[in-house]
Amino acid sequence: MLRYTVKRLLQLSVALLGLSLLLFAWFKALPGGPENRLLPENATDQQREALRAALGLDEPVWTQYGEFLSRIVRLDFGSSLSSGRPIATELADRLPATVELSLAAMLIAVGLGIPLGYLAAKRRGTWVDFGTVSGSLLGTCIPIFFLAAMLKVVFAQELGWLPTTFRLTAGADFTEVTGLRVFDGLITGEFDIAWDAVKHLILPAIALSSIPLAVIVRITRASVLDVVGEDYVRTADAKGLKPATIRGRHVMRNAMLPIATIIGLLLGSLFAGAVLTESVFAFGGIGSFVYQATTERDYPALMGFILVIAVFYVVINLLVDLSYGLLDPRVRVRK
Amino acid sequence: MSLLEVEDLRVAFGASVAVDGVSFSVDEGKVVGLVGESGCGKSVTSLAVMGLLPKGRGRRARQPVQAAVSEPVDGGLKTAAAAPQAIPASGGRGGRGGADVQGRAVFDGVDLLSLAPAAMRRRRGKDLAMVFQDPLSSLNPVVPIGRQITEVLERHRGLKGDKASKEAALLLDRVGIPDPYRRLREYPHQLSGGMRQRVLIAIAVACAPRLLIADEPTTALDVTIQAQILELLRDLVETEGTALLMITHDLGVVAGMCDEVNVLYSGRVVESAPVRELFRKPTHPYTIGLLGSIPRLDLPIHEPLTPIRGSIADVIRWRDGCAFAPRCDRVASPCVDGEPALVGAVHAHRCVMAEEVA
Repeated sequence: MLRYTVKRLLQLSVALLGLSLLLFAWFKALPGGPENRLLPENATDQQREALRAALGLDEPVWTQYGEFLSRIVRLDFGSSLSSGRPIATELADRLPATVELSLAAMLIAVGLGIPLGYLAAKRRGTWVDFGTVSGSLLGTCIPIFFLAAMLKVVFAQELGWLPTTFRLTAGADFTEVTGLRVFDGLITGEFDIAWDAVKHLILPAIALSSIPLAVIVRITRASVLDVVGEDYVRTADAKGLKPATIRGRHVMRNAMLPIATIIGLLLGSLFAGAVLTESVFAFGGIGSFVYQATTERDYPALMGFILVIAVFYVVINLLVDLSYGLLDPRVRVRK
Repeated sequence: MSLLEVEDLRVAFGASVAVDGVSFSVDEGKVVGLVGESGCGKSVTSLAVMGLLPKGRGRRARQPVQAAVSEPVDGGLKTAAAAPQAIPASGGRGGRGGADVQGRAVFDGVDLLSLAPAAMRRRRGKDLAMVFQDPLSSLNPVVPIGRQITEVLERHRGLKGDKASKEAALLLDRVGIPDPYRRLREYPHQLSGGMRQRVLIAIAVACAPRLLIADEPTTALDVTIQAQILELLRDLVETEGTALLMITHDLGVVAGMCDEVNVLYSGRVVESAPVRELFRKPTHPYTIGLLGSIPRLDLPIHEPLTPIRGSIADVIRWRDGCAFAPRCDRVASPCVDGEPALVGAVHAHRCVMAEEVA
């Protein structure tokens, strides 16, 4: 298991190196360099040259890449061109909100998706199956921003059951530990804060969960259908085991292999894709930051964001691979 | 009274009939063979007895099978198939691969086919158990061997924790697996094919079942391993007095293991006899054909085998005459003139031309 882990880690660092190269090349290739963003339109060529020199843009490309690489290893992404604050700080401030939202959405997707997918497989060909599959199709079809806006209008504005925006009620007095509000509330004993945070999370999390939920339902359904036809499930049945034992130990433990992979991939895409939901609910995560950075051509900010998301992806993939080792002994044991 | 009496078992998957009125019995402590080529319905018969077929619509709402039309020579248990009874051709929505099972499988005085699923689950693995054909795919790849054994002990014998592990190790030892405690922690892929089949046998005999059904237990194994596994099965049956229903296409296995044999063709028993009797005087042309398809050491090397020509039909067509007729060398007009009945008591056969054959 240790050798397996080390091997995966090495593969990951190669992947990250490749990504940094790609990212660097991509930014170099973009038209309208950063000096145009920083200087007024009537700036002289001398002024541009001076700024390019100041930013190191006149150095040879490989020197620039070396500089770029050494800085990102030290988590120094530079300062935001719009706010002037270090990008690492900006990201650190906003990441917890996105992480919390993504995890909540994934919790809904997994908690609902796996049982629904199982049910659809078990009742294949019935209205339960039909309803679940068409529901999940609907889930993938509705644009997130539309779903988010509808949820907000109906449950927050019209019915008033849940708050419309932000992560906590304005003026709430809370202790910050990790930045994950629900978690912080629980560990510091501020249960009212935790509950308040949960209420603020529900609608955006539901909106964000629609696509992963739909995907998980379908993958679970297909995977369970595959497994229930296996000989070892028949063996389990021939042992006279209780249906719950067969379901848990023999069907789901095998069916989880593809589901685990897809959950990992989805989680990565949630971090990157929370932008729309966050902006509808003014959730203050990484989404609004990226939106702003893109419209204002804030290259260092974008680069920092992409790198952080890439690291997330890579780490989640590592976790998925390791979970494979836990789930499937055939991966774990090398003789 | 036999331990298991299967009476007029019919299994249909939608419109296609897999088993068309099979009757046989297994006595306590006896080894009974169910023989035939692929597609003759032998596996489906065993799965039906175990209650392991996917459920179709007709199973609960089973119509009482018409009393068998009295046969002139009725071989006691070997009641011939009931009068041609139209098997509903409706595939049935919701049937979706489900099996429509009719008839009776009386085990120890109880008809297994009419038991509620929960009651059947209490017997499966305990009173009657099954060993499957493919030992690799029949074991769960992600659960340790030990757990796959202890779960039966836990379910039917109430053994837990260390007690269950100890018993599982004893079982592995009994089926001839060395170093059983280490094996308990291993996974199926770490074991050889023969070992896996031993594990499956250990699981099947874990609760000392009264009836063991072995569905081609040696087909997926090397010849040397085959002999070991058969030896093990015979040993278990002899020491425990377990009845064994041996499903196979291998007449060598039958000769070495069985007390009685039922030869199946196209969903029906075509010949049934004590094993010596069958090999001494095979009566049905199909049985004769099966025996003729095996290479023999006592004949010259270049003596050609006599294969049965053609292959088993997809559609069971006993009602218009003998289903074997299209492949039979001795086919005559009586063969295609109505259903052949199973005649004879101890040595029964379903061939109208039998006298001529003999």
